[in-house]
Amino acid sequence: MHILFLSCLKATELIEKKLHFKLSATEKLQLKVHKMMCSACTNYEKQDILIEKSFEKQAQINDPQIDLEQFKKSVVDKLNN
Amino acid sequence: MEHNKDVELWVNLYAANLLSWASHKVSDPELAKDLVQDTFLAAFEKIDSFKGKSSPKTWLFSILNYKIIDHYRAKVKQPVKLDNQLFSSFFNEDGDWYSQKRPKDWHEEENHLLDDSDFQAVLKKCMDNLPEQWNACVKLKYLMQKKGEEICQELDITPTNFWQIMHRAKLNLRDCVETNWFNN
Repeated sequence: MHILFLSCLKATELIEKKLHFKLSATEKLQLKVHKMMCSACTNYEKQDILIEKSFEKQAQINDPQIDLEQFKKSVVDKLNN
Repeated sequence: MEHNKDVELWVNLYAANLLSWASHKVSDPELAKDLVQDTFLAAFEKIDSFKGKSSPKTWLFSILNYKIIDHYRAKVKQPVKLDNQLFSSFFNEDGDWYSQKRPKDWHEEENHLLDDSDFQAVLKKCMDNLPEQWNACVKLKYLMQKKGEEICQELDITPTNFWQIMHRAKLNLRDCVETNWFNN
């Protein structure tokens, strides 16, 4: 297989790797060429990034359904035992 | 006895902050309560090592963060097992998508989905279905807002291992979201 041609499996790997680490120049080119020819992997990348952003967003949502006063009391009780 | 009073005061002052931090890091209120309680108990035990160099609040947060990371680290600790079986449900022998598994165009505005609480709920549910080790990896990465390199150090795994886990997790998640959100 020509060096520039990736399988979809390889391409999705690079898409993920790119989110966390730097790709080499060859990898960048391989991915670019692959996406030009493959709508599925182009969709994949868009959605992968969306999921990534959703994680970040979820990390900011804050909904502690906790009875604070009762919690404080139980911790203080534990401390005094 | 005096120390008791110090820590009691801290409980009253900082429990709310610590709890809200812990609950959005672990997204499980019961676990968050346990971690914060452990934090205060640890602070009480180690109070002699707290010399007032930092503020009590900073000190408590650093204990809590350590406990949160430890919680996830324990889950990822088992040797990372990466079988290739998962791939064979998505890709054929040549590594191309099976036609029914090809990512479709979602035809949705990104911002629209990000703000859609139902969509976020589906994603969360899909995440809970991931193997525990992957889930812990994903949570550590995003909830602790760590960079790739830092996570690898934290979990004592290689960078390659890390993005391979993330790759498998995301393949699963994306597919789960597409199936449960768009096909309903």
